[in-house]
Amino acid sequence: MTETARQVIRQGADGGVPALRTDRLGRRYGKVWGLRNCTIEVPAGAVAALVGPNGAGKTTLLQMIIGLLEPTEGQVKVFGQASRANTTQTLARVGYVAQDHPLYRDFTVADMFRLGRAMNLSWDQQLAAARVAELGIPLGRKVRHLSGGQQAQVSLTMALAKKAPLLVLDEPVSSLDPVARLEFMRDLMAAAADSALTFLIASHVVAELERFCDWLIVLSGGHVQLAGPADDLLGDHRLLTVPRATADSELPGTVIERTDSDRHSTVLVCTDPVQLAVQGHAGWQADPVSFEQLVMAYLQRPAPTIGGDPAPAAQRPWPGAKAVTR
Amino acid sequence: MIWVSWRQHRSQAIAGLSLLAALAVFAILVSTSMRSAFSHDGLAACLARSEGISCPAAITGFMNSFDSVVNISFWGVLFVVPGLIGVIVGAPLLGRELELGTWRLAWSQTVPRTRWLAAQLALVTAGLVLLGAAITAVITWYREPMDRLTGHFINRAYDFEGLVLTASILCAFGFAVLAGLLLRRTVAAMVAAFGPWLVIRLVVEFTLRPRFQAPLTLRQSCPHGCNATMGLDAVPPQTGHIGDWVLGVSINAGKQVVTTYQPASRFWDFQFIEAGIFVALTAAALGATIWLLHRRAGWTA
Repeated sequence: MTETARQVIRQGADGGVPALRTDRLGRRYGKVWGLRNCTIEVPAGAVAALVGPNGAGKTTLLQMIIGLLEPTEGQVKVFGQASRANTTQTLARVGYVAQDHPLYRDFTVADMFRLGRAMNLSWDQQLAAARVAELGIPLGRKVRHLSGGQQAQVSLTMALAKKAPLLVLDEPVSSLDPVARLEFMRDLMAAAADSALTFLIASHVVAELERFCDWLIVLSGGHVQLAGPADDLLGDHRLLTVPRATADSELPGTVIERTDSDRHSTVLVCTDPVQLAVQGHAGWQADPVSFEQLVMAYLQRPAPTIGGDPAPAAQRPWPGAKAVTR
Repeated sequence: MIWVSWRQHRSQAIAGLSLLAALAVFAILVSTSMRSAFSHDGLAACLARSEGISCPAAITGFMNSFDSVVNISFWGVLFVVPGLIGVIVGAPLLGRELELGTWRLAWSQTVPRTRWLAAQLALVTAGLVLLGAAITAVITWYREPMDRLTGHFINRAYDFEGLVLTASILCAFGFAVLAGLLLRRTVAAMVAAFGPWLVIRLVVEFTLRPRFQAPLTLRQSCPHGCNATMGLDAVPPQTGHIGDWVLGVSINAGKQVVTTYQPASRFWDFQFIEAGIFVALTAAALGATIWLLHRRAGWTA
């Protein structure tokens, strides 16, 4: 992460108007809650990863954020302004790249851009044309003759040209091959670096996000398990290797995940590095945790009980997340 | 939005114009020979003189030449065409967006989806009205010599002249748009909309239409023995006036011919009533579509 991006996030965390805030957001389908008690915040200028398994409620959350779906309860605020589904004001503030990047197959790329211009209040045709030219996508080609990666790029270009301050991408690369994934993420990050936009990228593939995102939200079972600046979250967690006999209560911080083998236990703890240094014992080994290990550990935790705790993630004892989610 | 809607329906518009052109070519070819036969046989003068009573041979000859091509086979083929046009245009309007997931693109731009739908419906409905009016004009012109013999009330004329053709296209369109929203599949929506349309069309045609207004009854006494024209599409009909729609003829105790009929003068009343039925059904289906789309909070696809 660059130093400037870091500052942007700090500003967000320190009380500037966040790009996105959802407050106890819930959506019920019939009798089943697709998402409940979802309180998240994404500071302005962040590139946020929303990670969760399929069926975690990611798409539900995103559709409420962009204004396609009315929440059953709770509220979405984009740059401080409350959103109402299917209104011009809300739709204009958020750009959206839907899963599988839907486009009209018999339209040319130029037609798609004309649609974007016709259906949006603001539209940067120059940006759109320059971007596809740079990517070598001919304006006159029909969408159905583009590769999957090129279609994803056209979708992203349309979202960028809409000039909305918040961009939401739903599984942008899940339908692409590994090379196209990498290229798409690289181009996405170049676009993010060139702009002051805030990105929220949902994915169930963790690896592709690791290098690019500076903010992390882990969603599971319709609930937020973990949220905060990626570097702080990584810094607040350690993978300890301890003798198997060590009880959880002897360990510093909160035990997130514990795997026991014959003689040793591998424990992921959420802890303060200083506390770890004080409580550390000879024979303990403390390793930094990878993005993927961290996400997997939180995804496997049981969901907090519904109803009792209005904002489960906010209650967790780590400094980075606390400052942000309160 | 106008451009977007046009671009999405451009190929359908071209197909509609092609259909219209093919129909016009067929109409010109057949109607030209029919018109020359009509004047060659002196039918116009005969009709003016005696409503056709004085020239039965000429009328029979004309009907033998043109009845099968103009009335029977033509009507049989075209009866379902308004329904097909309506469902082919209507089903994809929402069905394809939902089937292919492009609704997430269309409705996440800055135009709220109810406004998007209103614009689409307004433009496509206007296009269908133009197409229906054009087909009506072509067929009315094409049938003109035949109509002078049979009147406009026989279903081969009535179904394609006036307002009914356009209204029944719209009805199938409305059903198909609603079915597309409910079923989220284009082809399924076409099938689901066409079935009810066909049933309603048949019920209106054969059950309701003769009863739109109470039929008149004509009693003709025949002291010298009754010789009634029993055929319901005879020229002239039993009432003696071309254009009257004879519903039934019976001979009462050998002394009186009793004819129930709808007079030719009611043609436009009937057209308005029947078109009103179809337009009301269209409005109900499209109103339900708009309401459901507005109310339905969304789909996760």
